[in-house]
Amino acid sequence: MLYILSTSVNARPISWPGGNTYMYKSDATKTSKNYHYSPSYKYSIGVEFINDKYFKEEYMNFRGTYLLDRRNTKKSQRNFYITGALSGKSSDNFFYGVHGDWETRRYFTSVSYINKYTKQKNYIEKEFQVGVAPYIGEYGDIHTWLMIKAKRNTINDNWETYPFIKLFTGDYMVEIGNKNSHWDLHLMARF
Amino acid sequence: MNKILLLTLILIAQISYAEQNHDMPESNHDISKDKKTDESKYKLNTKRYEEFIKDISNVQIAIVDVNGMVCDFCARGIEKTFYKDLDVIKVDVDLGKGKVFIAYSKSVKIDFEDIKNKITKNGQTAISMQIEKL
Repeated sequence: MLYILSTSVNARPISWPGGNTYMYKSDATKTSKNYHYSPSYKYSIGVEFINDKYFKEEYMNFRGTYLLDRRNTKKSQRNFYITGALSGKSSDNFFYGVHGDWETRRYFTSVSYINKYTKQKNYIEKEFQVGVAPYIGEYGDIHTWLMIKAKRNTINDNWETYPFIKLFTGDYMVEIGNKNSHWDLHLMARF
Repeated sequence: MNKILLLTLILIAQISYAEQNHDMPESNHDISKDKKTDESKYKLNTKRYEEFIKDISNVQIAIVDVNGMVCDFCARGIEKTFYKDLDVIKVDVDLGKGKVFIAYSKSVKIDFEDIKNKITKNGQTAISMQIEKL
């Protein structure tokens, strides 16, 4: 049932034109390895290999994300995306949704709203993040973000809110969070 | 929590709308008039710029004012894009000032439209350019 719970949208789900992205995520319920390619800054396509610790099974999703709208200003960028995936295991499993983010070099906020369909149950997942950079680094420095994530799905109907820290520099990013005594880890590399 | 989610979405839209309007005069500005430098208009991060030029000479540098560069990923994309251009000698990004430095040999004719297109294809917006000769 938790099949495609592991599909949270990333803050920057599309890379630069011709860019490749590898991601590794691990938390209490699953580990996932995700690869996507961005033919342009407008969209990305990729696959995600998931090891579901809860149901002890492995499967794969085919994923896509499209940038609906972007607004660049001198000090900020705002994006709206649509995203979706089909499971390689069953055509009854898929998801689609929207994602928005707004970012300056000091502040970050994002929201997402995802509809998920499985053989067992259809449900909605909502998530938002806010973050602040305690210092402003230059290009090439190690950048640090102190973040709070809140998410809820209509299966358990509870909001989960927890802090995490995000570090990135150049082509690499690391996120580490703690939720109910479980560590979340997210690694990303772009090239 | 639903209200907070909704408020966050509204906040993103409102801030974005406000900044869009705030930037409107700049966006509508005749870019071609900015191609020749008025040094007083460009307050460079001297340290970053000095670092950029310290090991190059006999070059011309396009200093491009860019909107939407908020993180290293944006900068990396721009850097990779311009290094594919064989006429480019060196590239750097000043995130703090929102500027891209691109060094060309003096024999190259720098074309702002070409630079602007490359930056647009990377997802950012080039606003204006000045050229410095070393």
